[in-house]
Amino acid sequence: MIAARPVGVSFGSRQVLADVSFDVPSGQFLCIIGPSGCGKTTLLRVLAGLIAPTSGEVTADGKAVRGPARSRAIVFQDYTKALLPWRTVAGNVALGLEACRVAEPQKSRRIEELLSKMGLGHCAGQYPAQLSGGMQQRVQIARALGQDPQLLLMDEPFGALDAITRQGLQDEVARIAAEQKTTVVFITHDLEEAIYLGDQVIVLAAAPGTGAGRIAERITVEIPRPRSQLETREDPRFLAYRHRLFGLLKH
Amino acid sequence: MRRVLPAVLFAAALIGLWQLAAELKLINPIFFPSPGRTFGELYMQVTSGRLWQPLGATALRMLYGWLLACGLGIALGAAIGSSRTAREYLEPLLDFLRPLPASAIIPVAILFLGLSPAMSTAVIAFGSLWPVLLAAVHGLKNTEPQLVELCETLEMRRSQVLAKVALPGALPDILSGVRVSLAIALILAVVTEMQASLPGLGQNILLAQRSFRSPELYAGIVVLGIMGFLVNNGLLLAERRLLRWRSAAV
Repeated sequence: MIAARPVGVSFGSRQVLADVSFDVPSGQFLCIIGPSGCGKTTLLRVLAGLIAPTSGEVTADGKAVRGPARSRAIVFQDYTKALLPWRTVAGNVALGLEACRVAEPQKSRRIEELLSKMGLGHCAGQYPAQLSGGMQQRVQIARALGQDPQLLLMDEPFGALDAITRQGLQDEVARIAAEQKTTVVFITHDLEEAIYLGDQVIVLAAAPGTGAGRIAERITVEIPRPRSQLETREDPRFLAYRHRLFGLLKH
Repeated sequence: MRRVLPAVLFAAALIGLWQLAAELKLINPIFFPSPGRTFGELYMQVTSGRLWQPLGATALRMLYGWLLACGLGIALGAAIGSSRTAREYLEPLLDFLRPLPASAIIPVAILFLGLSPAMSTAVIAFGSLWPVLLAAVHGLKNTEPQLVELCETLEMRRSQVLAKVALPGALPDILSGVRVSLAIALILAVVTEMQASLPGLGQNILLAQRSFRSPELYAGIVVLGIMGFLVNNGLLLAERRLLRWRSAAV
């Protein structure tokens, strides 16, 4: 379980996050949504251990997070800067395994397994620049899964992709999270994506006055899984959630 | 083939002009031999085998100094580019040394090392160090911050980050620095030979000039030109192989 106990972050005199608390039970999918500049990415970095909170703390299974760790993998938004352009697809996936000191022959087996899980088997020998954005994002996810994370942190991973590619990847991430029972914290600025993927959705908004991000609303999404791009999005409950959160995202 | 044709034609035209200027004796033939005499001399040197020893001596001199510069430059660059402490200690000193003309330290090098090949290697290494070093520092400083964070979440050790992420990322910069260094190494190989009477193409050119054997002088310059051209293109070829991922776009 991941828990944020009133987390606050300030950069100098500027407060970026204030009083953010939540629990993510193991295996749960939490989506965090909010307008640009409300501190979503900062919050993700605090969860990763890349930034220490100014106040409060983040705990993973009861232990305070004091720095980055392999058990918490990140999938970055900008895939063009998150892959090693000089390594092939297989080589990029291998990086995570090398860091975890997985030796041959397990390493090759594991790479093959991860590539086929993400539908990348046919482009193992290609370089990232030869792939579409969606495929590059799959490589990042495969690499992240390679480090066997307890928590998968995803920072607007599909923000730069076209709608069709995005829906395909949403379903895959949902499937993999369910299969591996991985806890996921997923940041997005797409309300429908948040409801479609999340067990829980938290809306961050800038507080009037200070501008610091705080939790404006949280909902539990009670739509059973597996969900479907067509039916789930037409489900009255889906529409009701959308209706309820929509107003909070307007300025 | 069609791409090199204009360059070949232009070079041929220049040689033609040279021939013409020599025929018309626009300049005293003692200082200015015709291309015919120059290439004749070169041909003689090749067939008699007289060319190979000085050529080899100069090439090795250049190579040793250059390799030393590359090793030092990349190691120092890695230290400065990846550690703030190293940067604080080393950078000001290096900024002081960098603008020093390498030829100015030849007398110092001669005092310490004598008129020896070691002196020449030291001077070449000093002079050709800077392009590699600066390129390595620049390349390593510009390591993608997101990749650094990735390495942190993977709990990679500093040496692993350097070997697997930072250095390969800086390789394009380092390779162009390495190529500039090689050109400087060739210049300094010739200069040190002239200054310290070390055997090689540089010394031969100087001796030919002093005894007015101008075809030999020009032949020496032509050989140096060819040598510089070949090593540069060899490095470009190696660069293309090492960086083939860059041309692998869709």
